[in-house]
Amino acid sequence: MFDYDVIVIGAGPGGYPAAIRAAQLGKKTAIIEKEAFGGTCLNWGCIPTKTLIASAERFHHAAHSEVFGVTAKGVAFDYAVMAARKDEIVKRLSGGVQGLLKSNGVTLIAGAARFEGPNRLSVVQPDGDTRWLSAATIIIAAGSDAAMPGFLPKDKRVMDSRAFLDLKALPKRLLVLGGGVIGCEFACMAAALGTRVTVVEMLEDIVMVLDRDVRRVLRKRMETLGVTLLTGAPLTGIAVKDGTVSGMYKDQAVTGDLLLVAVGRRPNTAALDLARAGVKVDERGTIPVDAQGRTNVASIFAVGDLVTGSIQLAHAATQQGVAAAEAAAGMKSAVEKVCPSCIFTSPEIGLAGLTEAKAQQLGRTVKTAIFPFAALGKAMAAGETDGFVKWICDSATGQVLGAQTVGAHATELIAEAALAIRNELTVDEVGRTIHSHPTMSEAWMEAAHAFHNACIHLPKR
Amino acid sequence: MAQAVIFPKLGQTMEEGAIVKWLKKEGDAVAKGDILFEIETDKANLEVESFFEGVLLKIYVREGVTVPVNTVVGFVGASGEKVPDQPPAAEAAPAPAPAAEAAAAPAAPVAPVAPVATPAPVPQASAPAKPVALPAPVPAAAKRLVISPRARALAQAACIDPSRLKGTGPNGRIVEKDVRALMSAANYEALRITPAAKRLAAEKSVDILSVRGSGDGGRIMVEDIERALRRRPVTLSRMRQIIARRLVESKQTIPHFYVTVKADITDLMTFRADLKAKGLSYSVNDFVLEAVILSLEEFPVVNSVTDGVTVSWRGDVDLGMAVSVDNGLVVPVIRAAQSLTLAELNAQTKALAEKARTGKLLPDEMAGSTFTVSNMGMLNVDQFTAIINPGEAGILAVSSGRQVPAVVNGEVKIRTMMAMTLSADHRIVDGAVGAQFVNAIRAKLENIDLWKALV
Repeated sequence: MFDYDVIVIGAGPGGYPAAIRAAQLGKKTAIIEKEAFGGTCLNWGCIPTKTLIASAERFHHAAHSEVFGVTAKGVAFDYAVMAARKDEIVKRLSGGVQGLLKSNGVTLIAGAARFEGPNRLSVVQPDGDTRWLSAATIIIAAGSDAAMPGFLPKDKRVMDSRAFLDLKALPKRLLVLGGGVIGCEFACMAAALGTRVTVVEMLEDIVMVLDRDVRRVLRKRMETLGVTLLTGAPLTGIAVKDGTVSGMYKDQAVTGDLLLVAVGRRPNTAALDLARAGVKVDERGTIPVDAQGRTNVASIFAVGDLVTGSIQLAHAATQQGVAAAEAAAGMKSAVEKVCPSCIFTSPEIGLAGLTEAKAQQLGRTVKTAIFPFAALGKAMAAGETDGFVKWICDSATGQVLGAQTVGAHATELIAEAALAIRNELTVDEVGRTIHSHPTMSEAWMEAAHAFHNACIHLPKR
Repeated sequence: MAQAVIFPKLGQTMEEGAIVKWLKKEGDAVAKGDILFEIETDKANLEVESFFEGVLLKIYVREGVTVPVNTVVGFVGASGEKVPDQPPAAEAAPAPAPAAEAAAAPAAPVAPVAPVATPAPVPQASAPAKPVALPAPVPAAAKRLVISPRARALAQAACIDPSRLKGTGPNGRIVEKDVRALMSAANYEALRITPAAKRLAAEKSVDILSVRGSGDGGRIMVEDIERALRRRPVTLSRMRQIIARRLVESKQTIPHFYVTVKADITDLMTFRADLKAKGLSYSVNDFVLEAVILSLEEFPVVNSVTDGVTVSWRGDVDLGMAVSVDNGLVVPVIRAAQSLTLAELNAQTKALAEKARTGKLLPDEMAGSTFTVSNMGMLNVDQFTAIINPGEAGILAVSSGRQVPAVVNGEVKIRTMMAMTLSADHRIVDGAVGAQFVNAIRAKLENIDLWKALV
């Protein structure tokens, strides 16, 4: 028979929960990781960036609190300390993941896996030896890497987000290629620490997944932070010379000490030799799966960034991993459809369900209901009046189909919206739910009232 | 002075129609030539332009309502001008002859209808969610429900279809107790449904006791209510209803019989390729149509029509040509096809097919054919039979050319064979005549000398 019931390839936020869930369900489970437990999220993504952003925010608050009656003189920061703190937190969490896996009886295997058949893998271990393993079920959770298009110069000043996180000092001038989520998060963080940032985005605006009204708030605040946003044309003629990176945006020359490339992510499927197992891969290199995460080969599942149409978020991968492990154990679990997204820009953004634009594209008749933080007591008290919450509702039933929020704590606030959308609440249930005062979350209740044009805390329209 | 906007009569046979979409709203400025609205007739959707300039002052006829032709549907005039609240009576127009509905007499040409089974041609304007064109059939409506107001209110609030209830009140009246009894028997309290799903069910009167929940623990989700809604009858488009009526009429009144032959079109394909190399582009369909036209001249009875008492020769070959379009199938007519050269036939066929595909055919261009050809050659079929359009004596179903082993002069060769099936009205076409007719078509297709003379 097989060496294991379940083998998971990749110990990122999709893989390690899949392994733990499989082990919980009594499966003999192993997990193979080629680099660092915790994957991109924990080592080079969510966690390190949020650690640095926390440092940047501390500095920003310390330096800009005069209106609160707090004046600090000589506020300074040491990026090397910030980076060391980040490394320490990453190390602690990565160790935690290994501990969790071991406590559940999962076998940890270091090395790079490739398929030798539908149930067989070879693993090249760090010492160079190759080991052969077999399993009844294999869950592919190998993730993705930042895309580095071929037209970019190969130079240490041209880097992806992972290399950027290893910097021991920030550049004076930073050029960011790509105004998507990752590009904007790094731009905000660096700008808060005094770096002059220029973002070039080929599309007409930054973070096009967001509705226009949300983008407008982000754009304004980023520009206030000193970020130059150049959109609607590509960055061409990128070259490295005399310690600077330069390029052309339309007929304007742009330069920086570094170029951060954030133009999307590529699935890590090529090295897996999926053809040996008969797993179908589409032309973009991603793996098509069914509602349970099953590939065209019944005993092989795929979760996370390398799945076709994946939202490429850690928490989406986690839910997919758990669903796949449960499906492998014969349970009827399915991948959830509603997945909140959090964007750690300044200000933060949260979104869940359908955007207004997407709902209209799907031909739904929608009505939006907005409440601005400027009308909220807590927001005023905290000096965080920028932004709003917005429900995207079915105009006939009032069902909340989607939500977006931009402003302070937006990434925390979106959780309530996701719960409401997933469980098909209408604005009436949300509006009738008592929300604590004074909190930012009251905005959701007020916006629900706005659907009926019945806000208590907005002047009558 | 405000000018009345009239629902136009766009064909001799057109009696009524519906506005599927107003492109202007009341108060909109209108220039001469602007498209005011789109109408759906029996056969097509057409755009109607404004003859006047000004402001669209009033709309009387909402989208989806069927009205007779010449009805006043609105007014265009100067801004602020007064117009009547109610539409004035229809403009004087010749009263539609009630006989138009009556069966297929050559004098009253009728709509050629889709001879093959194709997906329902639902015009985009009448999406399933809003079947406004005609009242939807309500099966239960026949039986009037005797129910107390309290019981009705409770059933409504609980999203239960009251027609499923048995009344225990006087004269079988449904009372509140009956609703409660059903709720208890059906374990209503244990039913789980999301707020949005319940709201949708209430709004669309979906009986939630008959809905299976797909959510956590069998919870009824919006998707489940939507699935229940999709099971409701949707009114067919007018075009589809006409097709349905005509095809039933055909199958019930015309005794069909079928004769199939396979034509060897190997040489014709070679000949066609040679022509193409010379820059002359003909389709197989052109040759088939021409062979049919010539054969109809030889067999006038197939170009005739009967009512069971009399038989009339139709004279001209007005050849119907079934064209598959996005929302179904239309049959444009090539008039007096016997008078056209092959090149003219080719040009007309192309032009009509293009008009059909872009929805530009006028009703009169789809009426009055005397014989129809339905060609499914490009749809990869071995053989099929078609239903005769009432008013005609036959229809020819043309299938795909197939390379098959065939016996030629005692030897097995690879030949391209194409099946053709004639459906004929046995009241006037006898089996022997039908057989001769299809063999005449086959002989022509296989006779390359004929085509050399005709091209």
